[in-house]
Amino acid sequence: MSNRRFYLVTRDLHLYIGLFLSPFVLLFAISVFYLVHGLSKRPAPGPSDSARTVANLSVNADIAKLQGRARVDALRPVLEQLDVRGEIDYVRHAALEHRLIVPVRLPDRDAVVTIDYEQRTATVTSREHGMGDALVYLHKMPGPHNADLRGNSGLVRFWRLGADATVYLLLFITVSGIYLWVVLRAERRVGLLLLFAGAGTFWGLVYAVAA
Amino acid sequence: MPSRPDDGIAPERPERGPAAAFLFWNRRIHYFLGLYFLFFTWLFVFTGLLLNHPRWQFAQFWPNRVQTTTEHQFQGLTGGSEIERARDLMRQLAIAGEIQWPAQQSGPLAFQVSRPGLVLEVKADVERGRATVQRTELNTWGVLHLLHTFTGVRADDARNTRDWMLTTVWALSMDAVAVGLIAMVFSSYIMWYRLKAKRVGGIVALILGFVSCAALVAGLRWLA
Repeated sequence: MSNRRFYLVTRDLHLYIGLFLSPFVLLFAISVFYLVHGLSKRPAPGPSDSARTVANLSVNADIAKLQGRARVDALRPVLEQLDVRGEIDYVRHAALEHRLIVPVRLPDRDAVVTIDYEQRTATVTSREHGMGDALVYLHKMPGPHNADLRGNSGLVRFWRLGADATVYLLLFITVSGIYLWVVLRAERRVGLLLLFAGAGTFWGLVYAVAA
Repeated sequence: MPSRPDDGIAPERPERGPAAAFLFWNRRIHYFLGLYFLFFTWLFVFTGLLLNHPRWQFAQFWPNRVQTTTEHQFQGLTGGSEIERARDLMRQLAIAGEIQWPAQQSGPLAFQVSRPGLVLEVKADVERGRATVQRTELNTWGVLHLLHTFTGVRADDARNTRDWMLTTVWALSMDAVAVGLIAMVFSSYIMWYRLKAKRVGGIVALILGFVSCAALVAGLRWLA
């Protein structure tokens, strides 16, 4: 491929991939403000909806003995009976009360499901979250915590793919952007100045904060 | 839609009028922001990937941490509030960083001082003037992880607010990167729209992007 052809293909890919990626970049960038300034608690979460109790559930008899991902997988049919959807954050076992307390999250809604596995009943409390909190949730998912459990719903499994794709495509956008800038001879001097200024700011800040 | 060979490789030259000047600077700002924030973008993009893949062995840092505990004497602390006394103690112990208070404070003055790559657990017996400092040092991967999340605030924790100047500076740099990325997105829309030959392909790419993003955000209920 000639240099000119390579340039044109790279420029087209930079343009089209950049346009495709732009909503994801906006989502991650806007959620930064909520995360950095702890804004997501306002105005959400809203007040809880009234709790509902469901009886005669079909519950795996060994659910209290299971641990980790196996227990989460065993809880999924119970949640389906309760019509509760989302990612199970974690499971807390109150052994003396024969209860499992299961927070389940969608970006804009969460539910706390309390299952009495002896009585085969469950109480569900749910509440809405605002847009800011939903963006923050997506920004943080799947994240480094509870790695064994994370991705127990289609939601986070698909979002993990979306987040990873955003990273890889953004890396391509930056590298192709550098190449396109290098080709523009007229912008080289001021571009180099800004590149060095940015590098200086970055390394200076990292040194000051972390050294 | 492929480029034609004569699709302006050279930068646009300013023509007369505010519209032409706006377009000229819009293009330059796109380059300039991208170049200035390049290292910040790489850091947050790469560490975002690491945070989403905690099982990657090469980037493990917590099992490789180095912990040491030391004991120190200190003079009587000045200040009426906990934060003032903590700052006085930090000054005497020559440590700096973001103070994190535990969820429940009982007994001795106890707090955590953190910065990317370093966590100090400080417990002070104010009456006897003795302090124990547990120092946890993380490797380079740990530093990178914490640079991504080092904001000094948590949405559900009103007690812990940013109290170290460098945390504020770092948080502002995160804001600046986010603003820069948003500006680059909108400047790219303007540049693309000016390329008539690319409008159809661009609209397809943009719609695909918005539909994918909306499907992942709004349609997650169905996927869940």
